[in-house]
Amino acid sequence: MSFTRKPGGKALDILQNLPRISLANLRPEPGTKKAEKKRGRGQHGGNRSGRGHKGERQRGNRPRLGFEGGQTPFYLAIPKYGYNEGHSRRAQYQPLTLNRLQYLIDLGRVDPTQPIDLTQLVNGRGVTIQPQKRDYGVQLVGEGAGIFAAKVNIEVQMASEEAIAAIERNGGMVTTGFYDPRSLAVLCKPVPFFISGQPIPKRMLPGEDMVPYYTDAANRGYLADPEKIQKARIALAQKYGYILPDISKDELFHMLSMIKDPRQIFFGLSPGWVVNMAEKKILKPTDDKLLQYYSS
Amino acid sequence: MFRISVTVCGRGISKRLASSFSGEDALPSNLRIPSNLVDRARAERPPPPSDSSLPVLRRCDAAVPVHLSPVQTWVETLERRDSKQLGLVDLHPDVFAVPTRIDILHEVELWQRNFKRISRAHTKVRSEVRGGGKKPWRQKGSGKARHGSIRSPIWRGGGVSHGPRGPTSFYYMLPMRVRVQGLKIALSSKLAQDYLHVVDTLNIPTPDPQYLMDLIRYRHWGESVLIVDVGEELPENILQATESLKTVNVIPAIGLNVHSMLKHEVLVLTLEAVKFLENKLLWHDERFTLLYPFKLPYTDLP
Repeated sequence: MSFTRKPGGKALDILQNLPRISLANLRPEPGTKKAEKKRGRGQHGGNRSGRGHKGERQRGNRPRLGFEGGQTPFYLAIPKYGYNEGHSRRAQYQPLTLNRLQYLIDLGRVDPTQPIDLTQLVNGRGVTIQPQKRDYGVQLVGEGAGIFAAKVNIEVQMASEEAIAAIERNGGMVTTGFYDPRSLAVLCKPVPFFISGQPIPKRMLPGEDMVPYYTDAANRGYLADPEKIQKARIALAQKYGYILPDISKDELFHMLSMIKDPRQIFFGLSPGWVVNMAEKKILKPTDDKLLQYYSS
Repeated sequence: MFRISVTVCGRGISKRLASSFSGEDALPSNLRIPSNLVDRARAERPPPPSDSSLPVLRRCDAAVPVHLSPVQTWVETLERRDSKQLGLVDLHPDVFAVPTRIDILHEVELWQRNFKRISRAHTKVRSEVRGGGKKPWRQKGSGKARHGSIRSPIWRGGGVSHGPRGPTSFYYMLPMRVRVQGLKIALSSKLAQDYLHVVDTLNIPTPDPQYLMDLIRYRHWGESVLIVDVGEELPENILQATESLKTVNVIPAIGLNVHSMLKHEVLVLTLEAVKFLENKLLWHDERFTLLYPFKLPYTDLP
């Protein structure tokens, strides 16, 4: 519509003729402030003050919550079983649907011409990761595999088979990588970490229970054999019935084949470096022992 | 307060307002003004020059939405008491022409008053009052009422049952966007009601407070003036001039707040202050949710 509306509209026109808005003229929207109920005052709040008539109710001597008059209460009658045992110590992976990923790419919040990392997803406010609450990263979920149509190089922490198939069908690359909690915090919020002035830590390797997952080519683990991954890509294409596009002939092949080193957290930055954001400089260690430690 | 004078000005207002609020009860009681009550300063302010040949000294830096157009006001100068307008300035409509919401101004004003409040009222409970451990007299046989302690709340000199307990904090934070919207609404209402003036710089010829008072009275600005500039160092003359004045105050642009804007009748901004405010207030319209504290540096990319 080429019609230009006057900014502020009629409200500002009316305001010109009204008294000056000052501290004496302010008031809340009628109906937002409801008067507080005062116990023990007035005809309706007084008398028994909402406590009822005699007995434990009025005298404040009721038994504890869950007490059933002496009958074995529900919370004791039911036997225990470890459904939720150790629930607060279990690893959690925030799901990322292909629907959501497509939405983010379409709106321009995530750039498909660069490798998509957890940092890019968090910057685009696509997922919310809380490393302090036992989140270990993001898992790619296959919902929306039918409509997904973007060629991306994405790195997640876990991925379902359908999701891997959908991405590879469109000519992209999926990698699953492990981040220990400290590296994950650094990855999700890099700016506060760089301001703190600490050197970039090296990523720790996964624990015993997750090593089989990350060394398996079917999960596109970052510790798996590249040849086995190639075979797994072909096998998956056969299973799901699509022709595997040849990435090596793609113009973005260099970007699609970018994978992080197992000890690396950021693309282009090695462990041990210190990033100075104020002066836009990177400081690298020169001591032998440090270099040996960070390159191990 | 308004000075009562019998003039023709206000007669048509109540009729105009009644027609715009057709069908329902017109204004709330604190907005209804008698028709012969008028703000003399506003009436005596010189009418705008009829020629529009003044140059536009400043355009909006940020992109103005397509369906809106910038609001304009004159740029004046404080150099001479009776100088004319230097030119026009474009003001971004999303900062200086937002719809008025008195309830948001009310919320922000209450927040400003209360979030710093720490009430240090403290009374002693019956256990804290000195004494009162011993039973005053035996339970039965003395003919007096039964009591366990001389400091119970029934007794004179006894503890207070439900009194204020210790330093209480009334701290709470309104969402950042509500506070930003409050600033925008205050600026818009000042502009809409002719209480906003833009000035090129704050350089005045003398540090004499009388010069400022003369200037304000000559230009019929109003009773109290809040002058806003950007930067850590403000011109010496204006600082000296306003030091002894109670109703004219100078603040840096980061100190702009709704309470001060409503307390002072007139708001005077410099061109740099306008640029700074537009920049800071418009950023919140198009930002993503904050990932880390606002104190740390944010680039314009999310």
